[in-house]
Amino acid sequence: MKKLFWCLAGLAFIAIGTPLFAQEPETVQTVVATNWVAITSGFAMAIASSFCGLAQGKAAAAAAEGMARNPGATAAIRLALILGLAFIESLALYTFVIIFIKVV
Amino acid sequence: MEHELWFTALLNQLLAGPVTGLLNLLGLPPESPAHPIPNYIAMQVLVAGIIMVLLAIVRSRLSVDRPGKLQQGMELLVEGLGSQAEEIIGHGGRQFLPVLVTLGMFIFLSNVLGVIPTFETPTDQIYVTAGCALAALVYYHYWGFRHHGVFGYIRTFMGPMMAISWLMLPIETVSHLARGLSLSVRLWANMVAGHNISLIFMALVPLAVPVVFEGLHIFVGLLQAYIFVLLTMVYLAGAVSEEH
Repeated sequence: MKKLFWCLAGLAFIAIGTPLFAQEPETVQTVVATNWVAITSGFAMAIASSFCGLAQGKAAAAAAEGMARNPGATAAIRLALILGLAFIESLALYTFVIIFIKVV
Repeated sequence: MEHELWFTALLNQLLAGPVTGLLNLLGLPPESPAHPIPNYIAMQVLVAGIIMVLLAIVRSRLSVDRPGKLQQGMELLVEGLGSQAEEIIGHGGRQFLPVLVTLGMFIFLSNVLGVIPTFETPTDQIYVTAGCALAALVYYHYWGFRHHGVFGYIRTFMGPMMAISWLMLPIETVSHLARGLSLSVRLWANMVAGHNISLIFMALVPLAVPVVFEGLHIFVGLLQAYIFVLLTMVYLAGAVSEEH
C-alpha cells in the first residue's frame, strides 16, 4: 500500500511539475489545438484491451485448470473456451471499430 | 479513385459494359462507367474461382484406394467440421455441412488472400463480412422456419410463458439482429487490425519484422474463419433445437 502511495505521489509530482519546468523559457506561446480524439482513443483502446486481456486470462486459466483436472472433457472445454474468447475479444474490437470510424 | 489491382483491371476490361448496363438498369449508376467493379468484389470473384477450381481438381482425382494429398486434406476439413457439427447441433447436424464448409473455405481464403502480393483481402471491407453474416443469418432462420413451421418458429421467440411474450419478442428480435452485427464486425475488425499492425511495423522496421505479423495474420484468418463457422453452428443448433 505504501509503495502504491509513493508511486502515485511520484506520478502526481511529474504531472504537476512538468508544466512548471516547461514554462521556464519565456517564449511566445503558440496555441495549438490539441487533437483530443487521438488522445482519448488511445486511452479507450488501452482500457479496452487491458480488461479484455484480464478477462481472457481468467477464461484461459479456468479452461486450463479444467483440462488438467479432467482430461476427458478437453474437447468440450476447448469449444467453450474458443466461443468465450471470441465473445470477449469482440468487446475490445467494438472499441477499435468506434475509434477507427471516429479517427479515420 | 482507389488504386486498381491487376485482377480488377482485367475484370473491368472484360465486363465493364454488361456490369454498367446492369447497374444502370437497377438504378444504381456507378461512379466511373469504365471501372464499375471495385477491388473487393473482384477479389471475391477470385476466391470463388479458386474454390471452384480446387474442388474440380479434387473431384476429378477422387479415388478410394489411393487418395491424393489434396483429397486427404479436404477429407480432414470435412470430417473435422462434420464431427464438430454432430457435437454441437446433435443428430442430423451433418446435413448443414455443405453450407458450413463453403462459408469456412470462402472466409479463410478471403482472409489470407491479402498475404499474396498484388492481391487484397476482401474481408477488410464491411460490405463483404456483412454479406457473409447475412448469408449465415438467413440460412439459420430458413432452417428454423423449415424445422418448426412458421408459427412454431415465431413461438420460440416468445419464451416459455405466453404472459411475457410481448416483452420477449422484441428482446429476442434485437438479440438475433445483434448476432449479425457481431459476426460481421468481429471478422472485419480483425482483418483491419491485422493489416494496420503490419503497416505500422512496416513503417517502423521495413525489414523482416512485418513478415512475423503476416504469419500472425494467417493464423488469425484461420481462427476467425473457424469461429465464424462455429458460431453459425451454434445459432443453427439454437434454431433447430427441440425443447422450449
